[in-house]
Amino acid sequence: MSNYTGVCNYCGTGCGHLLKVDRGAIAGVFPSPEHPVGKGRLCVRGWHIHELLNSQDRIVKPLVRNNGVLREAGWDEALAAVEAGLGRFSGQELGFWASPRSSNEDTYSLVRLARSVFRSPNVGLLSDAGHRAAARVLREGGAWPAMTGTLADIRSAGFILVVGTDLTKQNPIVASEIHFAARGGTDVLALNSRTTQMARLAKTHLRPKPGMLKTVLAAMAKILIDESRHDADFVARHTEGFDGFREAVSGVRLDDIENATGLTLEAVRDAVRRLAAAPRAMAFFAAGVSGLDGDTAALVFDLFLAAGKIGRDGCGVNPVTGISNILGASDMGASSGRSIDELLPSSPSPLKALVVVDHDEEINLAADRIRAIEFVVYLGSYANPFTDLAHVVLPTASYGETDGTYTNTERRIQLNRRKLEPRPEARPGWRIFADIAARRGQDWGYLSSGDVFADIARTVPSYAALTYDKLEKAFGGLQWPCDASRPQGTPRFLIGNAERLRFVPFEAGFGEPAPAAEYPISLVVGKSYYYWHQNNIMKKTFIPRREYNALLLLYPQGLVEVHPDDAARLGIRDKRPVRVVSARASMDVAARVTEDVRPGMAYVPYFVGPMVPGFLQVHAALVERGEDAVIPVRIEKV
Amino acid sequence: MFILPKTELPRLLESLGSGRDLYGPIYHEVSGDALFEKVEDPKAVRFDAPIPYNSPKSAIFPHFEAILRYAYDRAAKTIEMARADLVRPKALVGVRACDLTGLRCLDRFFLGQEFVDEVYRDHRRKMFVVAQTCIAPFPQCFCVCTDSGPYPAEGYDVNLTDLGDHYLFEAGSEQGTALASELGLKPAGADAAKRRDAAVDGSIAKFDPAARDDKAWISRAVNRLTTGFVKNETWEYIGGQCFECGACAYVCPTCSCFNIEDINTASGPTERLRTWDSCSFEGYSRMAGEHNPRRPIEDRRNKRFFCRLSYSQSKKYLRPGCVGCGRCARVCPGDIGLPNVVTYIRRETTGR
Repeated sequence: MSNYTGVCNYCGTGCGHLLKVDRGAIAGVFPSPEHPVGKGRLCVRGWHIHELLNSQDRIVKPLVRNNGVLREAGWDEALAAVEAGLGRFSGQELGFWASPRSSNEDTYSLVRLARSVFRSPNVGLLSDAGHRAAARVLREGGAWPAMTGTLADIRSAGFILVVGTDLTKQNPIVASEIHFAARGGTDVLALNSRTTQMARLAKTHLRPKPGMLKTVLAAMAKILIDESRHDADFVARHTEGFDGFREAVSGVRLDDIENATGLTLEAVRDAVRRLAAAPRAMAFFAAGVSGLDGDTAALVFDLFLAAGKIGRDGCGVNPVTGISNILGASDMGASSGRSIDELLPSSPSPLKALVVVDHDEEINLAADRIRAIEFVVYLGSYANPFTDLAHVVLPTASYGETDGTYTNTERRIQLNRRKLEPRPEARPGWRIFADIAARRGQDWGYLSSGDVFADIARTVPSYAALTYDKLEKAFGGLQWPCDASRPQGTPRFLIGNAERLRFVPFEAGFGEPAPAAEYPISLVVGKSYYYWHQNNIMKKTFIPRREYNALLLLYPQGLVEVHPDDAARLGIRDKRPVRVVSARASMDVAARVTEDVRPGMAYVPYFVGPMVPGFLQVHAALVERGEDAVIPVRIEKV
Repeated sequence: MFILPKTELPRLLESLGSGRDLYGPIYHEVSGDALFEKVEDPKAVRFDAPIPYNSPKSAIFPHFEAILRYAYDRAAKTIEMARADLVRPKALVGVRACDLTGLRCLDRFFLGQEFVDEVYRDHRRKMFVVAQTCIAPFPQCFCVCTDSGPYPAEGYDVNLTDLGDHYLFEAGSEQGTALASELGLKPAGADAAKRRDAAVDGSIAKFDPAARDDKAWISRAVNRLTTGFVKNETWEYIGGQCFECGACAYVCPTCSCFNIEDINTASGPTERLRTWDSCSFEGYSRMAGEHNPRRPIEDRRNKRFFCRLSYSQSKKYLRPGCVGCGRCARVCPGDIGLPNVVTYIRRETTGR
């Protein structure tokens, strides 16, 4: 046997693959046809993961910075340096930056190190703003803080609403399932101000003005209730807070909806009728690299709750995680507490030392602030610009070299067995954290990643009945909650007879943000392109790097998408330089004239070079708010 | 023609496996996936496994292969250069007719033109092929439409046909005949060819009636493609569903596009890797100066179907580039495998 089963480590879909091992190296990858998620499919990233796993560009030895220069060190010396470096500060001054790509075992151990050894509340993921918002909404609503549905139900759904996001690029195999559903007759409706491939594959594409998702969803809810198409029986028996919700959406002015959102009342009404008529309906939205803000996520939840499409067979409100183990890392506690992304930007930052695991995507944004931190530890498998900012660098075993579990977007925990011996000096993350704990006098007794997982099962209630043994036997994994009453896991959230869910409150206030005359164009910022095109992991591959570079090479100074009507009015031509000016900042980029954006809208898929400090950093707080956040700008020909 | 008793199959595999790497259809022990893979234990080989998800292409044209190693000595200004790997002899067993035809297409690409690919040639020279007649098709199969099965006409050392109580052993080369005598096989009776033909006819009868009765199903599409009559809207409809993953090319037994990367190894010399590639990728056809003759996805997408089906390409392969294995349909996230594409092209004329 030279092919070993595993789970793809890129996005949160969790497709099963077979890695070919030849003479101690990963020599190829193939999708596993029997795998319950991928069913024999992988995306362009997954088809080339062996290129990454084969990369020569590894961190091979512990490094310690002395007099400004990183030099190789033994593990003892490096760990002593970490212990001393972190020991100088109080827990409040320490930050722990977990990786959404790490295994549950690694992240659990990191969180334990932060909380129980260094008494620090500051643990964060940084690429999880969308997930945090969605998880909060679902928890407040009384459901699980993750997808309530399951991917296996997509093809039997009657109606699917995809809010925002281009799933075909972010989670291609989830999008593929939706595409197959649509071809089988499922009524798929995309709600997105941009024309994405997902929108093109949908039966209907509703294309509101940017920033109007919340208003459109509220209008849908108001129509649902006004026309008595909500599930009154379900609402009465299984929900609380309906009156408040009805009141909250009553403020939407339907007579003005076309002016406010750009959608006709008839189109919105039609969408509501289709949702209400389908016995099995699902909603999908991004929760990870990009994602909805809490209010918009709450409206999706509440709309589906009023329609009686949560907690029933084949239904679900489904945030889709953009990176492999965002959900698992969140289950391990890395996404709660005070988040690093709030602490890091505050000036002066309370953080004096930072432990960073396998990160790269935010380095553009935060390099200056990280440089100002007194002591930085970086742990990772692959060479990374972050090492330039670190005082100690520790080599970790790559994902193919260590056992670990990963939790996909539908709560599916899969055991990924080691396929290779680790590089001589590389160690699994959990072992490194346990060693640091031991140096601080805590003996966790972890001898294997299985020991860590046993601890996870004791601590995390939804993982209570899981063991390595059980996961090994269940090819494709099991879905949490998995506990004494549900020993084989739970694919979907079904509401019990006596159970109740709650309508989740949101900030009222709908309508158009009044556009200032000087800034008539609504700029939207794409985060998932930025992530996949520029992250350090993709740069270690051949074909995805080449493909993602295709766009970067065409527009090396960055681009802004502008509608042909606006381009004609402003005298802008494709690939020619333009200046994007907001009230607070400006940037010079190339124009890409395309009908994928609406008139009056502009879109920036990624940031490079001077765009980052010049524009993105200035608007970082707004961009963090979610994928429907809008920056009013004007565009000038230069 | 000889008789191979079924009890003797392990002996055949063992004989082939000594001194060679043995590749054949297996069930993956964890996932249960049917794969074509290198095996350590000949007993793992399952002739009755369904058509493997990957094609035998991966054995001789791997996903990832070091083909050259070189080191530049700065001081001496010399380059040391050598072939990276010695190709090990292999035996590919249980190769189905479609996949055998696929190997012949690869031969045409790598060996049949002015430039001969040495690495591929080495793989091919040190290879023993045991094909098998498909006595029943799988749901995805349409080799009867592409003239590539269910009986493998040529290109094997040995072909086995399951005749119930035994295999009919047909030698297609001197090596194959030598194997028959090594195993001491008895010659088959006078009716053997007839029994084989009956098995093949029985197999053809089990194909989907659309594939069996309308053999022009593919050839009409070949005609439309070759003459350039396919409407642009059809290509746009197909291209709009492409997820640009490359899978169709990777699973295809005849797709031969590759990429070259030079990697500086930690130990010193630079390694030249050959990896699979796909003409559907934007970066594949991009030229210097950012010019790209096939920029929109529908242009890139239709390139592969031209390559698989058009007459001008078929002249290079001496047959159509599609062998009817149906793998591209199984692996495609966009549901635009070749059978669907053919259907869409036909729909332009037939309306169905």
